[in-house]
Amino acid sequence: MTIVTLDPTTGFGSGEEFPLALRPETLKGQVLGVVANGLGDSEAMFDAIASALTDADGLAGVCKVVKHSVAVPPQPEQWAELLAHATVAVTGFGGCGSCSTRSMRDALDLEAAGIPAVCVVHSALEPAVRAMARLVGAEEYPVIVIDYPHNPTAVWTKEESAMLAAQVLDAVRLRLTR
Amino acid sequence: MSFVSDTHSFDSFEDALEGQYELGVTDGLPVVPPTPERVAAMLAAGGVAGETVLGEVPTRDVVVTAEKVAINAVMAGCLPEYFPVVLAAVRAFLQPLANAHSTTATLAGAAHAVIVNGPIRHDIGVHGGQACFGPGFRPNATIGRALRLVIRNVCRTVPGVLDRASFSWPLRYSFCFAEDEEATAWTPLHVKLGYEREQSVVTIQSIMRLFQVTEFAPESEEILTTAYEVARHMGLQRDEWAGDGRSVVLVIGPEHYRRLVADGWTKESIADWMYPRLVADTAGKFDQKVTLASPDNIWIVTAGGPGIAQSWWFIPHLATPTHELILR
Repeated sequence: MTIVTLDPTTGFGSGEEFPLALRPETLKGQVLGVVANGLGDSEAMFDAIASALTDADGLAGVCKVVKHSVAVPPQPEQWAELLAHATVAVTGFGGCGSCSTRSMRDALDLEAAGIPAVCVVHSALEPAVRAMARLVGAEEYPVIVIDYPHNPTAVWTKEESAMLAAQVLDAVRLRLTR
Repeated sequence: MSFVSDTHSFDSFEDALEGQYELGVTDGLPVVPPTPERVAAMLAAGGVAGETVLGEVPTRDVVVTAEKVAINAVMAGCLPEYFPVVLAAVRAFLQPLANAHSTTATLAGAAHAVIVNGPIRHDIGVHGGQACFGPGFRPNATIGRALRLVIRNVCRTVPGVLDRASFSWPLRYSFCFAEDEEATAWTPLHVKLGYEREQSVVTIQSIMRLFQVTEFAPESEEILTTAYEVARHMGLQRDEWAGDGRSVVLVIGPEHYRRLVADGWTKESIADWMYPRLVADTAGKFDQKVTLASPDNIWIVTAGGPGIAQSWWFIPHLATPTHELILR
């Protein structure tokens, strides 16, 4: 006796290759969008990244938004502000399950809108953001990973935030340029 | 009836049972094989076409259709007459303010309570009395499980993938119960939310923390004092996105509500008395402010059985409670 059952799942992945936004040669003259989710003390790290890139690479400006909750999209007015001003962007911090995956989605949405982006995540959440990238056909999308002993949920000291910013700076620059 | 879902073929019922494990679509417990006939019966009982869209999880590019929900309801063990409740529960869960992505991907492992009000409780036997939070009642067990299987299979919340819970929670197998509306003369939850008493309604509350309030003192104010002190144990911070609708649920058990009723308390007066005490400034690590916009954000439900003097708090994750009319 053959028994036929219906599949209860929705498919995974669009099957189409995800197009990345065109990177500039350098960050000089670019406006860095910062999509911060407010997790723990991570905003201080993003401020330090923006400050360092302004000084060292000649950013023309910074457009920072802090989302209203850790795991939601930017508000429509925040999104409009990013699209109007940012030419490259960084998102995060991906240190919890819902916020990491949403921050990854923010980066992918920015790419789809033509803004080169990179998501900064903790190693504990790397499988989660990989799954999110796979959803939109961008499985190999690079992320910048912060590892232990730094706390995944960004409970960091000021000094730690500054040190992490310095640690990831080259990777951010590399990911946002050609 | 035709379906858009892929199909799987098995040589026997036993193979079909084991096959669901191999497909990775169970919660770890056996499921009822979702045959086309069973799914068709579910959709018919819900009076809904398979292609009907119940909602979306935009962050995940997920669109939830009635067909997928019916498949998962069959797997959960629902009878067809439960399906209108499942449909309403899924619709409520997918309302934007229920924050489906956040509440299911979180490290914290938030669960969801499905609270049923109105006449359908009696029609299909959703239990709100003794032991109503636990096993033993098919509607409670399978309606709650159907929502969880939808969250897993349709909304892609698989442990280790988009379910990132560090520990997760037994409540994530199933959590559904009814308000015991007849226990008191208090206004039932759905009537307070603006529905008619004769309508049936599902309310979904995300649960970040579940706190037991055990207080044997006979004085009403002592019971309520213990309740707000328990809620303040870890407090509740404001979430800008969830906004003023974010609410706590207090399920009051019989040994507490009979004393409260005898002393003239109502749901409204309890909330009014408790609100300033909950929102008072943080005074210590285990005496923290429960940030709520108004007394209306204290949702009171009556349920449970006699014996122990107990009530329960459902403290939310980053979401507001949502509700939907059950259409029959």
